[in-house]
Amino acid sequence: MRPPLHIPRAWLRGILAGPVCFIAAALVMAGGALWLPEGPAKIDNMVLPIVLFPVIWAALFFYLMLDHRLGRAWLVALLLVAGHAGMIARHLLATPAAAGQGSGHDATGAAP
Amino acid sequence: MIALSQTRTKELLAIHGWSAVGLGLLLYAVILTGVVSVFASEIGTWSAPLPAPASAALPERGLDAALKRLAAEVPAEFHEDTFFFPDTAGRIRSFFHKHDQRAGEAQPMDRGVEFDLDPATLAVLDRREGWSDEIRARNLPSALADFFVELHVSLHLPDPWGLLLTGVLGLAMLLAAVTGFLVHRHLIRELFTLRRHREPLLVQRDAHVIAGTWNLPFAFVLAFTGSFFSFAGSFGIPAIAMVAFGGDQQKMIETVVGTPAKEDATPAPFADFDAMLADARHRAGGDAGFVSIDHYGRADALVTVSMFAPDGKLNGATYTYNGATGAFIQQKPTFGLVPSLGNDLFSLMAPLHFGNFAGLWSKAVWFALGFAGAYVTLTGLLLWTTRRAAEPAWQPLARATGWVGYGLPLALAAVPVARFLAPPLGLDLHAAQNTGFIAGVAVATLLAWRLRDADRLRRSLLGITGVLMVLTPMLRGWSGGPGWITAAGQGLITVIAVDIAVLLAGLLCLRSATRPPAATPAAEAVATTTAEGAQTA
Repeated sequence: MRPPLHIPRAWLRGILAGPVCFIAAALVMAGGALWLPEGPAKIDNMVLPIVLFPVIWAALFFYLMLDHRLGRAWLVALLLVAGHAGMIARHLLATPAAAGQGSGHDATGAAP
Repeated sequence: MIALSQTRTKELLAIHGWSAVGLGLLLYAVILTGVVSVFASEIGTWSAPLPAPASAALPERGLDAALKRLAAEVPAEFHEDTFFFPDTAGRIRSFFHKHDQRAGEAQPMDRGVEFDLDPATLAVLDRREGWSDEIRARNLPSALADFFVELHVSLHLPDPWGLLLTGVLGLAMLLAAVTGFLVHRHLIRELFTLRRHREPLLVQRDAHVIAGTWNLPFAFVLAFTGSFFSFAGSFGIPAIAMVAFGGDQQKMIETVVGTPAKEDATPAPFADFDAMLADARHRAGGDAGFVSIDHYGRADALVTVSMFAPDGKLNGATYTYNGATGAFIQQKPTFGLVPSLGNDLFSLMAPLHFGNFAGLWSKAVWFALGFAGAYVTLTGLLLWTTRRAAEPAWQPLARATGWVGYGLPLALAAVPVARFLAPPLGLDLHAAQNTGFIAGVAVATLLAWRLRDADRLRRSLLGITGVLMVLTPMLRGWSGGPGWITAAGQGLITVIAVDIAVLLAGLLCLRSATRPPAATPAAEAVATTTAEGAQTA
């Protein structure tokens, strides 16, 4: 007999690997502009997250789908979402004028 | 190949199946239209040929005079940004424009004057003025090729929704490719296993696995690069621009491409454009494919020349020149002013997705592998529904698979028919193409609704597709296109080659439509079960 939590777990897994995974990957991509190294051309922090977005999403999807400990998978996803959302919000709120100046490194003064 | 527990393999197999079942039919549409789009330039040349074959490169002489003649004709505000490139229909396209804010739009759009130039004489063939989307809607020579490309890129849905959808489809394909690789227990053996004389479903499964296994690396590359292209424009660039530039996408693009020089609006004559192109050709040892001119007629005019990839390389060089003096400034990467990992990775995306790095040969390989991808998607769906043929809940998907699988080629074949019917009948060309496609979809839908037997549906749809394709070269001639003798005399080999390809494809469709159903086992199994299901119902 299936456990009574079978359907809710399936839904929780689906929500986690579907919309939550996409939002987390999008925030990692956008937030990557703030913490990735600029590289010699000072563009890597902006170009690499966009180019690698499909890989970021796929890696996250497989982890969130295949980790047998659902609670841990949710925790990892929420930490990624909260960490990057907070980083972006802090950057935008702290330096609204400087946001138009260039990369996140320039605007914040230092990489987080 | 990779040791996985039984539970893990089952999970991956479930992801593999569901990623395809959930979005498989749309994915099939994107792959099939992508296969057609590989030959966009050949389709453009075929549908609107010039009197003589056009080179894929910019002409070596005469562009300087053409540039100055056209620049004198357009309003000075459109000198802000100009480009020249050979388009899919073989014309030299030039667009003098500015980045302007259109009422109701969130981001600036391009507004200006676009010219089609004859590549041999550089005479103006067409002039279009307005916003970029209005100009695109009035471009007739590239209309057919653009229809297929737009269908592939965004399914003709408005921005950004079409791009977001095709991006998600790319991610689904990425999942199917990765899980398809991981669940193979005997990867090498499955590359060559086809049990021809076993039951039909097993033969069909083997064919699916063989095509899918050979296609795995290519499917991964296409899915990755395709979802990159879809998401970059619709959501990646806006998101990064929001974080790093307060939402100013233009500023972000300028910064990523290379920090622009200090502005100097002092009027200054433009240097010899032909000499700059000759210097670029000399440096690269190849032809120029795209030229951009910032601030024509000013002291800070900047010319950026992008070269075609030389033999043995995936990308060509990019050179910059001072437009006012003609002096060479530097060879620069596409992004940034010095080499970087970001630029190197980005530079791989286009050649790997479009397969245009080695001319016709690489395009033919990309076409074949893309076609195999469409086959794998369709047979995967047929297998999935056949295995669940006893479950009534899966019958709608089984019928939808036949409808889309064979109805989409019919709708695509109707587009050139409508395109060639439009000029003699005095119809708007773009509207006729759209109507042709919709009519094809309507016919396929009607047949799918009326015909319960899946094999009859398949044969009917393939039969109509075949007839349309066989008629297409004749309609091209009727609409004013050159016949084979004239085309051969003018050296328009592409016109004859595409005619023959379309004819052969049409004959293959007709042959398949008249072939006994036993030759398509999965379809037969679906047909049987569907018919049984219908009778039961």
